[in-house]
Amino acid sequence: MVEANEPLPRRKFLTRIGRTGVRVAAAGGLLYGVQSMFSRPPALRPVEEARMGILRPPGALAEESFLQACIRCELCAQACDTACIKLFGPWEGKLAGSPYIAAADRACNLCLQCTEVCPSGALGELFAKTEVRMGTAVVDERLCVSHNGTGACGACHTICPLRNKAITQGLFNKPTVHPEHCVGCGLCEEACIVHERKAIQVSSGRSWS
Amino acid sequence: MNFPKPLQLSRRGVQFLVLALIVLTPILARYGNYLSARQLDQVLDRFEGSVQGAALEYTDQTIRFLAAPDVQRGDNQRRNDKEALLASRNLKGTTWSFEFFGVSLTDPLAALESAFASRSVRWVLILGILIPVALSILLGRFFCSWICPVGFGLELSGKLRSVLRFLEIKPGRARLWYGNKYVLLVLGLFLSLLFGVPFLGYLYPPALMGRELHNGVTVMFDRAEDGLLGFSAVGLTLAAWFLLLIAVVEILFGARLWCRSLCPGGAVYSLLGRFRVLRVVRSSDRCTKCGACAVACEMDLNPMIDKTGMECDNCGLCISSCNDDALHLRFASNDSPVAMAGRREGE
Repeated sequence: MVEANEPLPRRKFLTRIGRTGVRVAAAGGLLYGVQSMFSRPPALRPVEEARMGILRPPGALAEESFLQACIRCELCAQACDTACIKLFGPWEGKLAGSPYIAAADRACNLCLQCTEVCPSGALGELFAKTEVRMGTAVVDERLCVSHNGTGACGACHTICPLRNKAITQGLFNKPTVHPEHCVGCGLCEEACIVHERKAIQVSSGRSWS
Repeated sequence: MNFPKPLQLSRRGVQFLVLALIVLTPILARYGNYLSARQLDQVLDRFEGSVQGAALEYTDQTIRFLAAPDVQRGDNQRRNDKEALLASRNLKGTTWSFEFFGVSLTDPLAALESAFASRSVRWVLILGILIPVALSILLGRFFCSWICPVGFGLELSGKLRSVLRFLEIKPGRARLWYGNKYVLLVLGLFLSLLFGVPFLGYLYPPALMGRELHNGVTVMFDRAEDGLLGFSAVGLTLAAWFLLLIAVVEILFGARLWCRSLCPGGAVYSLLGRFRVLRVVRSSDRCTKCGACAVACEMDLNPMIDKTGMECDNCGLCISSCNDDALHLRFASNDSPVAMAGRREGE
């Protein structure tokens, strides 16, 4: 390919392949070295976040196939109406560049722009908001002020887009989640008045790999 | 040194436009966020006099001028926020994958990797790469010379080589075998297949640059919301260092070394453009074999031997450098020279 006029002898070709292999290995080693030079420990994840799993945008495939299909473009993050979709930093190995939602910080409002824009099919097409299954909200009855008897709040019930279906209220606004209807948008988690650790959290069942 | 030819001027124009677009898209996304949260006015007040504030302000004015003029209702004017929001959603993404007024444009390398990693092909992927692949088959590696923002940056940073020469340091003219990029491509796809991770997406400079710009702009706005106005380099990561490393190595050791010999995306576009229709064709009777084109070529090719093959990226630097008007972009199926003695300029 360099001197295109003369045919390439096999030995020369093989030598070149070998040399290229060495160069690529050297480049890889260099990259790894540079990365370890500039790397820093990943941000501390709250224990409960690790327990609840990664919350992916609506329509995401199962975790394994999602990570395989996702091309790490930023389209879903740019299409997001509420800026709730964030991207993992480059220090997270396999997860780097893939989208997640930190619901306690900012939750999904189910506009479904991300599923429309995804070019790789990692976020599958959805036709109704009730089809979304990002996870299931779980109430921690020790923390919830309505459950533990320190007040009557009802914030999660008020904000739930599937009010009276996914979350129903009992005496003193005690919330009950119905997993068969819950889409896992996380709005209840964002609205929850208990801080540091939310009394209602979305569990996605996707482990941190 | 004479005035740049129209071809080079238009190429620089397109490259600059693409770079501006991929800086603009994260700002547009943020603008849409603030608009849909009905926070834009408060945010503009709060960001007054900062980079972020200016960016939002100009975006707002442009969008309202182009797509969402004020609505007149009797005596009072009302802003047309809904139209502005819809207009701001028309441009999304980076060169790795872009959505332009609802048309999806995905890098073929991204689609290849996704298909290899997941061992399946989805329809959206094929729809996304249709236009880029069709254009590459017709026009060759036009992405590398006309669109790639990193190629643009490397071309511009390559101008620093003349500064080195001025300082009487001789910049190197290192060469690597062209085939390295194909080896890297096959290796990357094999690793994707093996580990199920888009490996080359973390190495391919345009993808890295898009991600860096997105992260940088996002972090800038996030920090501005916390009251830290102005520029910040916090959002930049290892990828920025990697891009800088490529630029420095190219300035010191060889112009366009990465694009020529190592870029896996360039390999894909080379392969797609193997039988391209638009080629640089030499007219054998006008050519005086002065060698100016071979010096000008950043891909280290020699147009005089009519064997540019699939490595040529149709940038047209050789055409602009030719003093005898012997090189032209023509629709041709191979590189063989033609006689153009009878024709004159402009025919």
